[in-house]
Amino acid sequence: MLDVQFIRSNTFRWASAVAAVLAVFVIALFGFIYWKIDDYLIARSDRMVLSQVDFIAALPPERRIVAIEDHLGQDSRNVQFAGLFDPAGTRLAGNLARAPDQLRIDAPAQSVQATRTRADLGDPLIRAIGRHLSNGDILVIGRNVDETSEISHVVGEALALGLLPAFCLCLFAGAWLSLRAQKRVDEVNQHVQRIIAGNLCERLPHRNVDEPFSRLAGIVNGMLDEMEAMIHALSGVGNDIAHDLRTPLTRARLALERGRTNAGTLEQLQQVADKAIAGIDQALAIITALLRLAEIENSRRSAAFGSVPLHEMLSEVCDVYEPIAEDKQIKLSVQSADKLDVRGDRDLLFEAIANLVDNAIKFTPAGGHVEIALARGEGETVVRVSDTGPGIGQQETDAVLRRFYRSDKIRSTPGVGLGLNLVSAIVKLHDFRLLIYSGPGGRVEIVCPDDRRS
Amino acid sequence: MAKILLIEDDGETAEEITAELGDRGFEVEWSSNGIDGLDKARSLRPDAMIVDRLLPGMDGLTVIEALRKEQVRTPVLVLSALGAVDDRVRGLRMGGDDYLTKPFAVVELIARIEALLRRPVDSRETTLRVGPIELDLIERTAMRGDRKIDLLPREFRLLEYMMRRSDQLLTRAMLLEEVWNYKFVPATNLVDVHMGRLRHKVDGPGEPPMIHNVRGAGFILRSLS
Repeated sequence: MLDVQFIRSNTFRWASAVAAVLAVFVIALFGFIYWKIDDYLIARSDRMVLSQVDFIAALPPERRIVAIEDHLGQDSRNVQFAGLFDPAGTRLAGNLARAPDQLRIDAPAQSVQATRTRADLGDPLIRAIGRHLSNGDILVIGRNVDETSEISHVVGEALALGLLPAFCLCLFAGAWLSLRAQKRVDEVNQHVQRIIAGNLCERLPHRNVDEPFSRLAGIVNGMLDEMEAMIHALSGVGNDIAHDLRTPLTRARLALERGRTNAGTLEQLQQVADKAIAGIDQALAIITALLRLAEIENSRRSAAFGSVPLHEMLSEVCDVYEPIAEDKQIKLSVQSADKLDVRGDRDLLFEAIANLVDNAIKFTPAGGHVEIALARGEGETVVRVSDTGPGIGQQETDAVLRRFYRSDKIRSTPGVGLGLNLVSAIVKLHDFRLLIYSGPGGRVEIVCPDDRRS
Repeated sequence: MAKILLIEDDGETAEEITAELGDRGFEVEWSSNGIDGLDKARSLRPDAMIVDRLLPGMDGLTVIEALRKEQVRTPVLVLSALGAVDDRVRGLRMGGDDYLTKPFAVVELIARIEALLRRPVDSRETTLRVGPIELDLIERTAMRGDRKIDLLPREFRLLEYMMRRSDQLLTRAMLLEEVWNYKFVPATNLVDVHMGRLRHKVDGPGEPPMIHNVRGAGFILRSLS
């Protein structure tokens, strides 16, 4: 099975394709070289034949036959062909039995079949020139160009010797790369299987090298980090929901059951009904709040984003909560450094800040002070809500963001414990940061980094 | 005797609503699916409609859209289990006049239906008068008889809203949505605190109270007939 995977793998296919293209190219190249050489050799041969024809034609008639016999005598390789024929076609000199049939006289060199005088040596193909001489004779000089076939043999050998190893090398390289990639993938797969089996903390190994696989491993690890966080949050939620929904619903049920048996008057039954409705309403409030949280966490409502003037918003929040603070004899003040804007969803940001102020007022005893401040940091805008209440304990700064978490200090106050979760979700949606400081004194900051696009 | 058309597919819910509305003197016509409901809306011409969003046949919002296209201006209250802000916005954009999520308190439903039936006419008047209270909308001042009432901007808006809907029950949810423009429910009893302030200012010592707290339901501004 490994072999099939290996041959089918893309890397191997690519390597094969490259090897094939290389082979085709090399063959074409060699073919071209052969053709060029062939051309050259024939041209050279033709020039030699031409100069020979010119030479002999220029001689006086009585010297011609001797010249032809000299010329042929020097030909050790039997590549030269010559023939002198009288106007009737009878051979006067040379090794050609007769003028080649297709040869056009007084034309450039052509390839024709030679007919030798010595029949036992065969009739090769020659490049020949024929010329009418001054006295009416016909001179034919030719050359055997079969040697070009020798060249093609040489070229072919070179091709084979060179191409075959190159091709094999390419395939081996492809195979090796493919195996290597396969190995990496198998490795990753093993880790992933372990993660799927439930071991959420596993991460893909990657040497910090800037190569694609390492980068991919880095990305996947980042994704796994997020998933782990989400799954933990979700599993937490499952438990939280179970507990916090069951409590009010249980209360409702108990009240109804008791009332059913014990209630005697209409009034008593109405009281029972009221208690039950209160319990159910609380459960519904929790469900609504959780759905709201889910809606915010899952939405990318950046369509509703615009420029939000924080200065005005904080004044508004102060206006709204001022009477409530006053009722509790708490001083509520706003301090804005400047007219600062951020990019976001106006309604959600208002809700977030209102939630923080609401909390601050709730957890500050009478006579205290809640301050909303707007300030500039380096490259960021900060909204701070601080109060003179007991604040959050050092150990609790992380825990406060858990769903339904309610510190022991405030267990007696009404509420569901999802307020900070909501703020956190809204802050996250905006790519802002939520900073919770430990006490004494409450202090929560929403840090809004400057919009890089603006 | 106002005629209400209820388009709701859940039989039990429909029964409850019909009974409650009937008790308060409304005439209720019920349809259990969208297509039939649309027909009845066209033929019966009700004074107001309560339309469930998720209906068999044709969904509630499509029914409303169809009616609006035909220039039917009947006020519609959309009822829905879908409570997300986006759902609400969509419901109102498609032609609904108000949006109530299930489950709801019956009081809430009644208050909103009555508000829809007695929608205040947008008059060009620059002053509002209810009993001894007079509001100057240009100057943003308020008087009760001869006494000037010193109001903060938000208190003024709250009083204006109540005066335009005098003698109607206004639930906390309605006030939060319309006066404060909140799409969320704040943890504290914001409305109560602000309403307390307003009452203190409007109903001076010795003066007959006009702003009343209806236990378990909301607030009402009575015009002292």
